Amino acid sequence: MATTTAAVTLTSDLLSDEMSVNATTTCMKAGTTADGLDGMEYGYLDLVTGDEYDLIGATPTASKASKLYLKNHSTDETYFVAITQGTQAIGKLYGGDWMFIPADFHDAAGEIAVTANGGTNKICYALFHEGITKDASA
Amino acid sequence: MATITTTITINSTDLLTDELSLSTTATLTTAGTSTGLTGTAGLARKKTGNTSEYTLFAAASYTDDKAHKAYLKNTSTTAAQYFIVEVAGAVVGRLYAGDWALIPWAADTTSTNCDIDITPSAADMTLEYMLFTDE
Repeated sequence: MATTTAAVTLTSDLLSDEMSVNATTTCMKAGTTADGLDGMEYGYLDLVTGDEYDLIGATPTASKASKLYLKNHSTDETYFVAITQGTQAIGKLYGGDWMFIPADFHDAAGEIAVTANGGTNKICYALFHEGITKDASA
Repeated sequence: MATITTTITINSTDLLTDELSLSTTATLTTAGTSTGLTGTAGLARKKTGNTSEYTLFAAASYTDDKAHKAYLKNTSTTAAQYFIVEVAGAVVGRLYAGDWALIPWAADTTSTNCDIDITPSAADMTLEYMLFTDE
């Protein structure tokens, strides 16, 4: 089986004492410890302002344990990428920010979309999944 | 100025034919500036008593349209146990045992209250969570 690990470290001097949180997960298929996620889609691209784009040009199998990594590589702190799911705003990734989220893609409304703001944003993304259906050619 | 740094490292030696190694660090800043976030809802653990939906963070309690970040971790060791994570009622995904997530959160209240909700797949599961706020 494929073994992919994702580790996070959060550190801060926000509190009067130092804070450090570390967590590591092995990205497994849904509901098992025997088999890891074995698919990946990766992109590194310029995202121009104006339109909203579906991030993934495929439909991952629904209700699984897919994981989505996305980083905004813009160096201008005022630039951001708005993350939406269906019609609902989830959050904003400003220059330098990254996210790592579970990605269910349970139906058409589950599609993650991105919109660049401020200027052309350079983004990097990786979807770790256990099966996708490529979108049909238009 | 407070400094909150987040680092992610993704590694795999056998997902691809070549080794995969990715690591990046971000300093969390307020929306559109280089000023660090200064607020937190604190690191907490929540034990769920049943399989009902729980509101983890209510958008109305935080400033709308900002650069908040939410950290979630499912502490379960039972592989089949998961939390359904929803934002504004839309399912984002499932956090299976041991999984964690870092989610940008706008706390949007313009159209729909953009609450972060969780639904455990079993009773008596535990979620660790923390919110870094842009207030």
